[in-house]
Amino acid sequence: MTVDIDKQGPEDVPPAGPEAIKAVPVRHYGRYLSALVAIAVLTAIVLAFARGNINWGAIPDYFFDARIVDGAKETLLLTVLSMAIGVGGGVLLAVMRLSKNPVTSSIAWFYIWFFRGTPVLVQLFVWFNLGFVFDYINLGPVYKDEWSDFMTPFLTALLGLGLNEAAYMSEICRAGLLAVDEGQTEAAHALGMSHSKTLRRVVLPQAMRVIVPPTGNEVINMLKTTSLVAAVQYYELLRNAQDIGQSSGATVEVLFLAAAWYLIMTSILSVGQFYLERYYARGSSRQLPPTPWQKVKANMLSLRRPEVTR
Amino acid sequence: MNVMVKAEGVHKSFGHVEVLKGIDLEVEQGEVFCLIGPSGSGKSTFLRCINHLEKVNAGRLYVDGELVGYRQKGDKLYELKDSEVALKRRDIGMVFQRFNLFPHMTALENVMEAPVQVKGESKAEARERAGRLLDRVGLADKAGNYPSQLSGGQQQRVAIARALAMEPKLMLFDEPTSALDPELVGDVLDVMRDLAESGMTMIVVTHEMGFAREVGDSLVFMDEGVVVESGNPRDVLNDPQHERTKSFLSKVL
Repeated sequence: MTVDIDKQGPEDVPPAGPEAIKAVPVRHYGRYLSALVAIAVLTAIVLAFARGNINWGAIPDYFFDARIVDGAKETLLLTVLSMAIGVGGGVLLAVMRLSKNPVTSSIAWFYIWFFRGTPVLVQLFVWFNLGFVFDYINLGPVYKDEWSDFMTPFLTALLGLGLNEAAYMSEICRAGLLAVDEGQTEAAHALGMSHSKTLRRVVLPQAMRVIVPPTGNEVINMLKTTSLVAAVQYYELLRNAQDIGQSSGATVEVLFLAAAWYLIMTSILSVGQFYLERYYARGSSRQLPPTPWQKVKANMLSLRRPEVTR
Repeated sequence: MNVMVKAEGVHKSFGHVEVLKGIDLEVEQGEVFCLIGPSGSGKSTFLRCINHLEKVNAGRLYVDGELVGYRQKGDKLYELKDSEVALKRRDIGMVFQRFNLFPHMTALENVMEAPVQVKGESKAEARERAGRLLDRVGLADKAGNYPSQLSGGQQQRVAIARALAMEPKLMLFDEPTSALDPELVGDVLDVMRDLAESGMTMIVVTHEMGFAREVGDSLVFMDEGVVVESGNPRDVLNDPQHERTKSFLSKVL
């Protein structure tokens, strides 16, 4: 990156011209008042919690408790795997919905209608209770087992979250695919590229620009939604935190602790999203936005040369 | 002379609107064939029929002696599979009014894409040839730039290089200079003139009468889906025979 230093003249004198206006600015009393009210409310809330019956010391005590760290790992694992199912299934469903084949597009439509229209908690319970419906699973020569051994709490959680997510992701992917100009497909076809190659090499990379930001949202949502799987006997961050809370008596404190862990994890994911968006922005904007590190470097450079930044 | 493109009574409708109402024409190998006419006359649609981006409703269209989009066995026509259509399109380069470069690839990558992905050329080989093609259109120094960093004229020249990378036997130009600033038209026309001199068969839908007069070997004036007048470009442009041609030319010349 080059910084244009020469364009800024050294002189401090304002350019000679018509006399600058000197007027008394409008006083926005309403703004002062609303700021005061907001600060007062905030202070009241902070004070209330500070004086409340909360054992703040319990939070650092349990922050890196093995059960909490394990729970966070499980939460992350579940998030990553369910999102993988969600994205893979979403792309497939989106392509099915946009295909000219009326059968595949109707099936995709029906899938989305069903999985988006029912609460994910209900879906989780259904997966959990399928044991009442099936006694064993038999995939012919491939796999055969008792249902209860097959459908572990982990698989229940994964299928429940992943298949639900696929319905949402397919709509996001479809929006992305539709956003790519038709001329791109035509140009690729005119060069002799097949449908699948056109999709993979030309359309999808451009659709990603539209797909990535809402997908980042979905990942963060997913990380938080994993807390629901406590209901199907899967032990993740929230469930482990609650167990600690019950045995130690620090019920509310561990909830704060869990919230802090979720916040940390979602913050890290947001950073990842920034870099992913930056990658897919190549070619579409003339100058990529600077990464935080580049911003820091640029600021340090300008600090060393104060005459430039005046 | 070998006939490169032959149209026999080509009809095309979009819904109830008949855009082409029976086009008959022949384009010989090595010829620069210009299509002119008012907007909505069907010239772009006809061009898109040649590489089967649009399906013909009636009539026959042949490229290099082969039927476009269908296979004839006896009296019956069989629709070609997508892969067979794609195979034929390899030999037909197309340049679009809106360039349609791939925005997520650099100029060099745009030109390399089809040889590598469609023909299975090695990357090194494709890169080498893409570099030469970009040099040929005067953009060797822009190889690493993304389309958004290029002017319209530069983008269109990259698009021409991209089409040439497949070593086509026929090039279709769909109003290649209509989206350009007047200043930039010249660079693109220079590249096309150079291409014509190399003996490429070119079908050019254009509003550049100067180019048609100077470079064109044949010219067709189309209006409302039919060929109104055709012949040598200099004759048609200087001395149009039909009233419709006269009134059109009096407005654009």
